[in-house]
Amino acid sequence: MSENAAGVAADSAAAAASGGDAPHLCIRGITKNFGAVQALRGVDLEARRGEVTGLVGDNGAGKSTLMKIIAGVERADAGRLLLDGAELAIHSSQAAAAAGIQTVFQDLALCENLDVTANLFLGGETTAGWRWLPRLLRPLRGMAMEQDARQAVTKLQVHTLTSVRAKVGLLSGGQRQAVAIARAIRAESTVVLLDEPTAALGVAQTAQVLDIVRSLRRNRHAVIYVSHNLRDVFSVCDRIAVLRHGAVAGVWQTRATGPDEIVAAMAHGDGGDDGDGAGDGACNGDGDGAGPANPANASPPIS
Amino acid sequence: MNARMHKFQSRLQRMRADDLGQFVPVLASLFVIWAWFGVTEPAFLTARNVHFLLMQSAVVATLAVGVTIVLLIGDIDLSIAAVSGVGAALLAVLVTNLGVPAPLAIFAALAAGALLGFAQGAVIAFVGIPSFVVTLAGLLGFQGLMLKILGIHGALNMRDPMIRGLTTTGIPDWLGWLCAVLLVAFAAAVLLRLNRQRRARGLERMDNGPLLWRIGIFAALVSAATATLNAYRGVPLLMLILGGVIALLWWVTTATPFGRYLFAIGGNAESARRAGIPVRRIRVAAFALVGLVVAFGGIIGASRYASVSFNAFAGGPLLLEAIGAAVIGGTSLFGGRGSVWNAVLGALVIGSLGNGLDLSGAGAADKLMVSGVILLLAVAFDAVTRGRNPQH
Repeated sequence: MSENAAGVAADSAAAAASGGDAPHLCIRGITKNFGAVQALRGVDLEARRGEVTGLVGDNGAGKSTLMKIIAGVERADAGRLLLDGAELAIHSSQAAAAAGIQTVFQDLALCENLDVTANLFLGGETTAGWRWLPRLLRPLRGMAMEQDARQAVTKLQVHTLTSVRAKVGLLSGGQRQAVAIARAIRAESTVVLLDEPTAALGVAQTAQVLDIVRSLRRNRHAVIYVSHNLRDVFSVCDRIAVLRHGAVAGVWQTRATGPDEIVAAMAHGDGGDDGDGAGDGACNGDGDGAGPANPANASPPIS
Repeated sequence: MNARMHKFQSRLQRMRADDLGQFVPVLASLFVIWAWFGVTEPAFLTARNVHFLLMQSAVVATLAVGVTIVLLIGDIDLSIAAVSGVGAALLAVLVTNLGVPAPLAIFAALAAGALLGFAQGAVIAFVGIPSFVVTLAGLLGFQGLMLKILGIHGALNMRDPMIRGLTTTGIPDWLGWLCAVLLVAFAAAVLLRLNRQRRARGLERMDNGPLLWRIGIFAALVSAATATLNAYRGVPLLMLILGGVIALLWWVTTATPFGRYLFAIGGNAESARRAGIPVRRIRVAAFALVGLVVAFGGIIGASRYASVSFNAFAGGPLLLEAIGAAVIGGTSLFGGRGSVWNAVLGALVIGSLGNGLDLSGAGAADKLMVSGVILLLAVAFDAVTRGRNPQH
């Protein structure tokens, strides 16, 4: 396949062949143990800007653990995270946010008693002058925040969300998801992790959320989309990574594969066909390759 | 749950989500109580009785406003009456026994209240003991502290003219009217300016019609209150001071990051923490602020009763009336919803009920039972409207 050929070529050629730039976020050899249980056994994964990378896997495959490590909620025992080739030290969710990595967990972490604007700005409210007062007592710039919130919501094209003054508790599940995503991308983020964003939603609201994910791609975010739902994954992701027994069993271009192949990989760990090794080269510019050099062609885990 | 009930519940939830909707239940009960006693007791709506009604409600209102701050974060403070008692006792000892100038003594009492609140908040936030338990211990301990400060007599007189003047002064009629006009003009100017700015920024706004209606109703209420109070002893100085303090607290709880974090923590503490809000420090600050406010309530009490006695603050009725007032006013016991004005209105409900039942010659038994029913109704209303998503 041409993608495999590109995999051994120069980085730029690889980027062109995979339809995106060089990998933005590189995950290299992430390992995590919980006591005797090995949750992650050297995970390698890339996310490119302007691309949606699906992360699928059976229950217990390690998706949540990997998400938490990228989000800074858990710490990896070994392995590295690189952002545009620079190594990240992510030891807290604040550090992840500062690096531009935002995570929307399944519980959304919204305050239902506050309105959309207040939720979007929670913890990062803008205040007017009054410098003689401590920040916590300075007047909120409510109207400016409301304007920003409207722009953020408009950018996501959530047409059903007509008022940013509505209390989040009165919104539908899809609208809440939209608010949580809007908050994630408002914070100067370049990487957005979405954890089962459609799990609790009906058909129409799922479509709405998938549209939002596509708009994230248009706005050149690197999106990692974790889901059980293969239909959603195939409808929105550019590449699909299968996690199995704590390691990446393979990465596929969505247009070059089908649900059967992915399900087989989830169940049996058959390797992917993507030229994933190309991205690998870009990440390991310092030549210090942690973990397998080409996870896409790694042998299936023993089970 | 059947569909009609569900629909009713969601309508109630929407009403409570509205800015003014949260005042509707308490205003309605206040109206019913005033109409009932206004008809059955000719003395109830006289200028003199309205004056006393307001003064009687002042201490409960101040304590209710104080406890609202921690109710917003989903905590409770059972020590408010005891802390205000400590503040009052300290004030009395300093002024009456030691001859300390009143302003200094007032400052000391406020500082003591803030300190006690701070200490309780620190234990709650950093040791991780529920506020119910910590402030229950505070209730007992600070009652003891109050007794210690008051000494063996258990009561001290308060004759300082400045402190007494706090609750006995009525301002001249013309000044009362001037204040009323300024208040209405200020409110109207702020509201109209905000609306104009919102229009300039292309934000959602209210039409000018309803806005003018609201200003008109507000002006009518203020004028009626001023006229009534002027017919007896003039607008009490206390009302101006208390109004100013509560307006300041309203601003702090609604228009600053601190206030927003109170609501956020009450709504979902875990979400607030993950958003980077310093939850523990906010909790400590909230309890310290409660201590400050209720110590001020103690000063008002000392001024009004012209004495500080153990029984006026300790033992329970003041505490229960204050928390009851906050909840009757519409502040949620579950956190995240309410306002200081709700507490004021709730205190007026309790005060009016007590005053009216006294006038009609009802005994303590009837008062307690009616108060219990109203409190239960308020909490039931809170539980029913506690926003679960109606679309789920």
